[in-house]
Amino acid sequence: MFKKKRPLQSKSEIVLRNIVVTFLVVYMGIFLIVPIIMAFLGSFHLWNPLNGTYEFLGLDNYIRMFQYPTFWTAMVNTLIFCAVVVLFRVLLGLGLAYAITSKMTKHKTFFRTVFYMPTVTPLVAVAFVWKIMYNPQFGLIDQVFGLDINWLYSSSLALPAVMVMTIWKDFGYAVILFMSGLLSVPSDYYEASHIDGANAWQTFRSITLPLLKPTMIFVVITSIISYLQAYVPVMVMTKGGPGTSTYLSSYLVYDQAFVKYNFGYASAIAFFILILTAVLTVISFKVTGEKA
Amino acid sequence: MWKKLLAAGMAAAMLMSVTGCGNDQEISHSGVTDTNPNKGLEVIGDNVTYDPNHLINDGEPVTLDWWLWDAADVFGKFAEAYEEIHPNVTINIINNPWDGFWTKLPLALQKGEKGPTLFNVHNSYQHLLLTYMAPYDIATEDLEADFFTAKSHEIDGKIYYTDYGIMTGAIYYNTDMWEAAGLTDADIPKTWDEFREVAKKLTIREDGKLVQAGFNYNGDYQVFMLGIPYQYGTTTFEKDMKTVNFTTEGMLKTAQMLQDFYDVDQVGDKDFGSDAAQSFGQGQSAMVYKWGNYKGTLETNYPDINYGTFEVPAVDGDPFAYDRYNGESTPGINKNASPEQLEVAQDFIRFYMANKDLQKELCMYYNLFPANNALRDDADIMGNPAVAAVAEHIENYIWPGAMPSTLEDNLKIAGQDIMYNHKDIEETLQNAQDIVNVDLANIDFTSSENLYYKYDK
Repeated sequence: MFKKKRPLQSKSEIVLRNIVVTFLVVYMGIFLIVPIIMAFLGSFHLWNPLNGTYEFLGLDNYIRMFQYPTFWTAMVNTLIFCAVVVLFRVLLGLGLAYAITSKMTKHKTFFRTVFYMPTVTPLVAVAFVWKIMYNPQFGLIDQVFGLDINWLYSSSLALPAVMVMTIWKDFGYAVILFMSGLLSVPSDYYEASHIDGANAWQTFRSITLPLLKPTMIFVVITSIISYLQAYVPVMVMTKGGPGTSTYLSSYLVYDQAFVKYNFGYASAIAFFILILTAVLTVISFKVTGEKA
Repeated sequence: MWKKLLAAGMAAAMLMSVTGCGNDQEISHSGVTDTNPNKGLEVIGDNVTYDPNHLINDGEPVTLDWWLWDAADVFGKFAEAYEEIHPNVTINIINNPWDGFWTKLPLALQKGEKGPTLFNVHNSYQHLLLTYMAPYDIATEDLEADFFTAKSHEIDGKIYYTDYGIMTGAIYYNTDMWEAAGLTDADIPKTWDEFREVAKKLTIREDGKLVQAGFNYNGDYQVFMLGIPYQYGTTTFEKDMKTVNFTTEGMLKTAQMLQDFYDVDQVGDKDFGSDAAQSFGQGQSAMVYKWGNYKGTLETNYPDINYGTFEVPAVDGDPFAYDRYNGESTPGINKNASPEQLEVAQDFIRFYMANKDLQKELCMYYNLFPANNALRDDADIMGNPAVAAVAEHIENYIWPGAMPSTLEDNLKIAGQDIMYNHKDIEETLQNAQDIVNVDLANIDFTSSENLYYKYDK
């Protein structure tokens, strides 16, 4: 698939390579590796860098984490949030991309722009607007549908309400990726299936979907990683409430680290999320038949 | 060769950009040398006094930074007045936003001399700051003689900061709605039973739908719960002053009363907006429970609302305490500042503590009851409705200490669980108590409840 490696031609190329590689290694070391090591060590300590507290606790933070009911609430919420939002992102993204790339669709650029617009809008701004839309007294949603629901203060509706906002915000990204995947499928395959008498569903299932597999894997994996770290919508819209109904794992990390200043405990939760992310990523690769 | 040099230079530049290296700039002093120790000015203050007739730092120019998060103009008057007395001193006011202030400030103080010499304190962040603070170089007994809350800020015989004013809760009521309901000043309730009857009269429903809440506490559950239970004679903290008890009789009865306002009396609704302050400001709610700073919110955001205030009702005529109060704090001093800066900072704090006129301005600005005894009967301050409402029984308000935010955060969660998730009151408060006590075990905090004069009674 790739061309045979070509040896570097000139000294300037070597110099440029060395500069770029050095910069990246230093950058990753300072901003990624060192913080990860510090957080890992910190997860075994009572750690508050703001007043200099750093006392060894052993596994206490991890034990406390598993005994803390809010941790489990947050984990369950995160898995539900992740599964639902990823599913709808993929379904909506694929469906709309398929519709836009269809020969029957006119004004493709218009639709592509409209669907991508929420993705490039700042998340905090979107979350604030949706928070107002969900307001039970003057919110657009209740007024348009003639409802009297306090969406963000209902233990059963608050998390779905945040999910709907997130899906609306993010599906456009999947549309663009799936469109590029669909446009890269050679037209010969479709012509051959047409000659063989395949109907639209058979063509989609046997040709389009298998050829979109790399794109699908990319969308699913990046979505999982991204949604396991989601906390901005919750911070803006519900602050984790009502009660702890909309606590997500990353919001819990934020809350423990930057509100309660329990950096050690927050680091323990963050490491658990890191491991969970790795496990879910491997599972995704396995399910889709790709090597991790 | 030049390519290697270029590469090395670029790599160094990139490294510098990554690590943010660079030489620190020299501090330039804008003050002038002061040679006149005898300024012909009067000594100010009662017990804590300030004699301006001296040189500070031998009259040599000296500069210090003062970090704050609000009201740079008002605090700036202290700096300007001090610089006028001591022209060799320059005080740079650095106003940071509240968000991030409590992360930036401790990190800046870790830099020792390079951190701010003076910084405003919020007592809920005492546990982050105390390790960097120098005690005031003022006799503790003088401070306690002038400031009636200073005793509660004493740590091992020293005072690192105290209150210049205190704030607490009161009931704000819409006077137009009050009048429309046929109520007069004589109807101002003294007990919660009377309050409930008044709230019913102020409630308006149309076709069964609430259009005007008689009383709205949405968003304020935790503030209410941290103050009103004292009326029953129960305290938030156990006798060890380190662990909380959220299932006392006072807590349970207060929680039940809050629930009954909505479920039994139907004077409000949990879904009638999420923010009582906003609802009152928009003329949808007749009464709310708010702290003194709400006056500023009303004047800034809702200037058309006509309102009055009254003291929180009590369970009986002589409650253990009416409510909790919290103080607005005097500045802290960076103990690692340079000797010159420390000398100025200590002198400046003495000037600050002795200056009643500027303290009065602060109290007026923030709607605070003055902590300085000399300002207690000041007519201008007492003309403020937020202050007037609480003035009569101010001695009967309790300060539980510089409480870590975990108490308020977890009571807020408990409140939402009770209100919106329909959880059992006692069980929910017990859960909140367990979580808070785990958090407190990791924080060096001791409550000041036992310093309250009625505590042992």
